[in-house]
Amino acid sequence: MSEVFTKIMARNIFYGGSLFFFLLFLGLTFDTVQSSHKRDHRENITEKVALGKKVWEDNNCIGCHTLLGEGAYFAPELGNVYKRFGNSTAAIMAFIKTRPKEGIPGRRSMPQFNLSDEELEAVAEFLKWTSEIDTNNWPPNIKG
Amino acid sequence: MPYKSQAVAKYYFVAAIALFVGQILFGLVMGLQYVMGDFLFPEIPFNVARMVHTNLLIVWLLFGFMGASYYLVPEEAETELYSPMLALGLFWIFLIAGALTILGYLLVPYATLAEITMNDLLPTMGREFLEQPTITKIGIVIVALGFLFNIGMTVLKGKKTVVSLVLLMGLTGLAVFFLFSFYNPTNLVLDKYFWWWVVHLWVEGVWELILGAILAFVLIKVTGVDREIIEKWLYIIIAMTLITGIIGTGHHYYWIGTPDYWSWWGSIFSALEPIPFFLMVVYAFTMVYKRRREHPNKAATLWALGTAVMAFLGAGVWGFLHTLAPVNYYTHGTQLTAAHGHMAFYGAYVMIVLTMISYAMPIIRGRAAANSERSQLWEMWSFWLMTVSMVFITLFLTAAGVLQTWLQRYTDAPLDFMTTQSKIEIFYWLREGAGAVFLIGLIVYIASFFVGSKDEERTVS
Amino acid sequence: MLKKNIHLPGDLAIWIFIFAELLVFAIFFIVYAVAKNQHPELFLLSQKSLDKTSGTLNTITLITSSYFVALSVLAMQENKVKQSVRWLLAAIVCGIGFLVIKSIEYQHIFSQGIGLDSNLFYMFYLSLTAFHFMHVVMGLIILSAVTVKAYNGGYNSQSMVGIETGASYWHMVDLVWIILFPLVYILP
Repeated sequence: MSEVFTKIMARNIFYGGSLFFFLLFLGLTFDTVQSSHKRDHRENITEKVALGKKVWEDNNCIGCHTLLGEGAYFAPELGNVYKRFGNSTAAIMAFIKTRPKEGIPGRRSMPQFNLSDEELEAVAEFLKWTSEIDTNNWPPNIKG
Repeated sequence: MPYKSQAVAKYYFVAAIALFVGQILFGLVMGLQYVMGDFLFPEIPFNVARMVHTNLLIVWLLFGFMGASYYLVPEEAETELYSPMLALGLFWIFLIAGALTILGYLLVPYATLAEITMNDLLPTMGREFLEQPTITKIGIVIVALGFLFNIGMTVLKGKKTVVSLVLLMGLTGLAVFFLFSFYNPTNLVLDKYFWWWVVHLWVEGVWELILGAILAFVLIKVTGVDREIIEKWLYIIIAMTLITGIIGTGHHYYWIGTPDYWSWWGSIFSALEPIPFFLMVVYAFTMVYKRRREHPNKAATLWALGTAVMAFLGAGVWGFLHTLAPVNYYTHGTQLTAAHGHMAFYGAYVMIVLTMISYAMPIIRGRAAANSERSQLWEMWSFWLMTVSMVFITLFLTAAGVLQTWLQRYTDAPLDFMTTQSKIEIFYWLREGAGAVFLIGLIVYIASFFVGSKDEERTVS
Repeated sequence: MLKKNIHLPGDLAIWIFIFAELLVFAIFFIVYAVAKNQHPELFLLSQKSLDKTSGTLNTITLITSSYFVALSVLAMQENKVKQSVRWLLAAIVCGIGFLVIKSIEYQHIFSQGIGLDSNLFYMFYLSLTAFHFMHVVMGLIILSAVTVKAYNGGYNSQSMVGIETGASYWHMVDLVWIILFPLVYILP
């Protein structure tokens, strides 16, 4: 067996196969970048939404929550939190604003981030925009 | 040790093990926070502990890979390292930058860290696993380039073997794909799309090249099997890895706003991703079975076989469990992902670094080939303690994940997140218990470097 | 023991590779069949819009090309190097013809604004044919390399592994198309 199946052949399969599938991946990526505007309603990314994403990142929200299922699994999914909170940005803002500084005895609690009103509004708008991405109906239900 | 400059690897290995300890301690903190929500709150909130846990893992694995390369490449190329000074300099730069970053996470609120590191100039922070301040990321690139230069020059001036070429390709890919961490568009969908180019193409792509190369090196050394045969296997395994793994990236593109077709492409190719891991098991056992010599370092052989098996279980089997889109629809972002992540990282990457350390450290420390009988016994105990407890961590998290999926996603009357969490608490307690055993295993592992170090070296009669 | 001397043309590695490729295509075909079973009307309706003439033409082109490759191998077995090279070139021309016809078909489809995300059928149609298209390109690269080597006298009746390897791969590409064409273009 080993005399027909040479190392050179294995090497060629490695180089050829990898190149082949990387090109295919690039092709699919090209199509994704071209066509994803149909799903991400990017026209609604206002300055506020952009600021909201920054607030989201600057406070490492992903360190506890998932967003569209990615992140940490310690706290609830936030991709659909806008809908879960009754399609209300005000409810999101109120929740973040009222987190107790010293936590809740014995329970998990979100830290108090001391966000300004502008930042609160921005992060809520960002979560609203996120909830409107076409995600193939994920999550399966409103509980996230 | 055939080449003097290989000794520089020792610094990297010691640092790797030290950071490994930190990673596990913070893992235990998080495990406790899962069941005692107010533990260390608000001083070390969960997100900080997690950041420290995951970032320490990445950094110590990188230390491990670099140490492995500094040991492996001179021996393969049959020449001294191009510049041991550069290797040492980069070591201190990387260690200090890494330590400062971790201290930054712990000492100031994350938002403040973002501010003082001027994240606004080039915002890259606040994304899972890529939480490092932008300047740290730039530092990582500089260290990686210096490291690649050093290793590349060594290969160039010496013998170019398949093992060192594959290693070099893996390391180059690691550096290249890391560059996507600097791309952070405001459009979350595109942000997530290219975020996976770092994360997936690292762990299910180029890192597997590094894993394959290190495993091949150790197998050549401990089994004495003809290099030609091992290199052929290596090529086939990494070919299958990239053929399945590149399009397999699609299994992350089901629910993040990317087109529908990814659920088909992703499901089909990622379902094939266990193949290279299965081949690796067959290969490792075949090589050991066909060994042409008895190597006195039994522990290293054990680690090598363990790597293949645990990588197959963690990355292959546990990955396959939830990779198909219809399954993933319900399991995405649950404790099942955590279960898979733990066993895959331990099985594939932690164990390969420990394999290399196990093989190289005795030689760097002046032994001819292996530690004393007693030292190896302790090391093998630590292998079993850590590996078995990791299996249990995975099983408990899997149980938690399956229940969570059921209660929160699948029943007719789904519960909300926090209610579900309280119902699966028992599994978090069990996981924390298994985690404590893992820590004991790690302590035994460290002890194995000191126990019996004055005893006579183990030899094969 | 009876079949001990059975001859496997080409390198064993290419056969492992061919089986792996066929496995992937087989999974794709099964998934296609399942999806089609779930949305019969959609598939039937969209299938009607495909250009069957172009598909048929391509089937003929590819089979012819495979035939030429087989003739080339036969010629090489008799040490007729020049003839063998000529058949290889003819096969390559046919392969390029396939790509041209397919490109025209794609252009026609794309000009109607159809893309991967238009509907499930077009997703499969485009994915499967594009995936196959890339295999044709790959096959042509292999055949070209074989042709160059054959032209330079790299093969003879005693040393056929390379040319047989290339031919085997090319037959696989042909075989996949012969399944793909009726499955996607014709079968109601």
